[in-house]
Amino acid sequence: MGLLTILKKMKQKEREMRLLMLGLDNAGKTTILKKFNGEDVSTISPTLGFNIKTLEHRGFKLNIWDVGGQKSLRSYWRNYFESTDGLVWVVDSADRLRLEDCRQELSSLLQEERLAGATLLVFANKQDLPGALSKEAIREAMALDGIKSHHWCIIGCSAVTGENLLAGVDWLLDDIAARIFTTD
Amino acid sequence: MDATHEVSREPGGFAGESGADKIQERLQKRHQARAEDAERRKEAKESMSVAEEKGEYFSTSFNTERASIEELLSSCSGADRAVVTPRLEEATAKTLQLQKFLNDSMLFLTQYELRRAQAALQKLQSSIVEIREEAQPRKKFTFRARTKATDKVSDAPSPEADTPADSGGNKVDGAAESVQCRFSDLDNVCLTKTAEEIQKRDVLLTHLSNCKVRLFGSPSTLHLKHIDSCEILCGPVSSSVFIDHCTNSTLAMPCQQLRTHNTTDTKVYLHVTSRAIIEDCHGVSFAPFSWSYPTLEEDFDLSGLDRDRNNWSQVDDFNWLAAGTHSPNWTVIPEADRKTTWDP
Repeated sequence: MGLLTILKKMKQKEREMRLLMLGLDNAGKTTILKKFNGEDVSTISPTLGFNIKTLEHRGFKLNIWDVGGQKSLRSYWRNYFESTDGLVWVVDSADRLRLEDCRQELSSLLQEERLAGATLLVFANKQDLPGALSKEAIREAMALDGIKSHHWCIIGCSAVTGENLLAGVDWLLDDIAARIFTTD
Repeated sequence: MDATHEVSREPGGFAGESGADKIQERLQKRHQARAEDAERRKEAKESMSVAEEKGEYFSTSFNTERASIEELLSSCSGADRAVVTPRLEEATAKTLQLQKFLNDSMLFLTQYELRRAQAALQKLQSSIVEIREEAQPRKKFTFRARTKATDKVSDAPSPEADTPADSGGNKVDGAAESVQCRFSDLDNVCLTKTAEEIQKRDVLLTHLSNCKVRLFGSPSTLHLKHIDSCEILCGPVSSSVFIDHCTNSTLAMPCQQLRTHNTTDTKVYLHVTSRAIIEDCHGVSFAPFSWSYPTLEEDFDLSGLDRDRNNWSQVDDFNWLAAGTHSPNWTVIPEADRKTTWDP
């Protein structure tokens, strides 16, 4: 038995996945993470650095990394790319002014070699706000249809109400599981 | 090998002495055992290492696969569209498989091999894209991407750096005008929004100078961009306040989060229930929120902000991560210098 087979079997047994959550500042990354984990979301401060949460969902062990999105932190994003199974890109659907910024940051991420194998989930967050753009508008503004290098999916959600968070994560898990865990 | 060496000497050995004979025999046995042991170990080692995990195996199978994809692609040029489509699909699937093979082999490849394989894959992928675009010019995504590209070109000559992004958003902005409250491009005026106008909407103030702005009511978020020498007072904001490129101004607002960027010489009278941050700012000073208006209490209730929690003096500076020493970019306004009366 080769070393690689052993490693794969180990990973399969643990059913462990590493998810990296990125996006511009104020997109709602930390709020999504906390809401998903059932914590209070009313006292969240802008993230200076990063948060990690390990949680169990559907028998998978998820390591979720939430890295701050301020401009001065974006150059550190690369430190978190290694062995990422899924990339969660969070968009503030109400922030029209920075959609172009948002598109550019995402497209430069997708060129990263170390993220080449990762599945991409785009959360069009803040759908509960009256001024939020629809998921379709975000999809167009971010030019998602041009992405051929990654499996991707866009889901409209609200971190504050928790709407659709599970649906998004479930899609991500299914896609990753189909890729890295061979069915016996 | 000394084992064979010893053995070859053995027949002509000291046959006369039985003791020596025995020793000889024992020695030979030991040699044999040792040789067998070595053989066993060698076999074990061989069975441990898998043929698939060798660089040579990798490069040969990688290259054959790559050649087959290339052949597939070259057969596409000039062919009919109906023929090209399935071929392209096959090529895409094969490339994906190859990428997976490479990912799986990452552990035992050298950096050089890895990089070369990556480069080869990239080349394959880009030629697939090229052929796809050639063969299916009418596909939806291609068409859209092109129109966008031309849009950008026409925007490019505009003198201000921010304009392309803004005009790119115009289409969506227009649709949402009804839900968004805004003031922009104004100089030296007094501006007011009432609670009825604001109610739970996003408020946007851009390119204002020498203005006095009063926002009564509770916005969902407040964006301030390109503000110069203004006094802006706002009711409780239920989520975050965004400040970008603001100079020489006085601001007052309660909010959940305050995010301040590229701002200089500005005073902020703040009630913040989580934290305020600054980034690329200097000369920003803070004091507790002190503005008041008749319906402030109700707006506080509406916003859901906690009146008793105010972290106005705990400011995180993203450009000053040293713990222990205070950031040089912001200060607390001394009590004697704080403004207490706002409206004449």
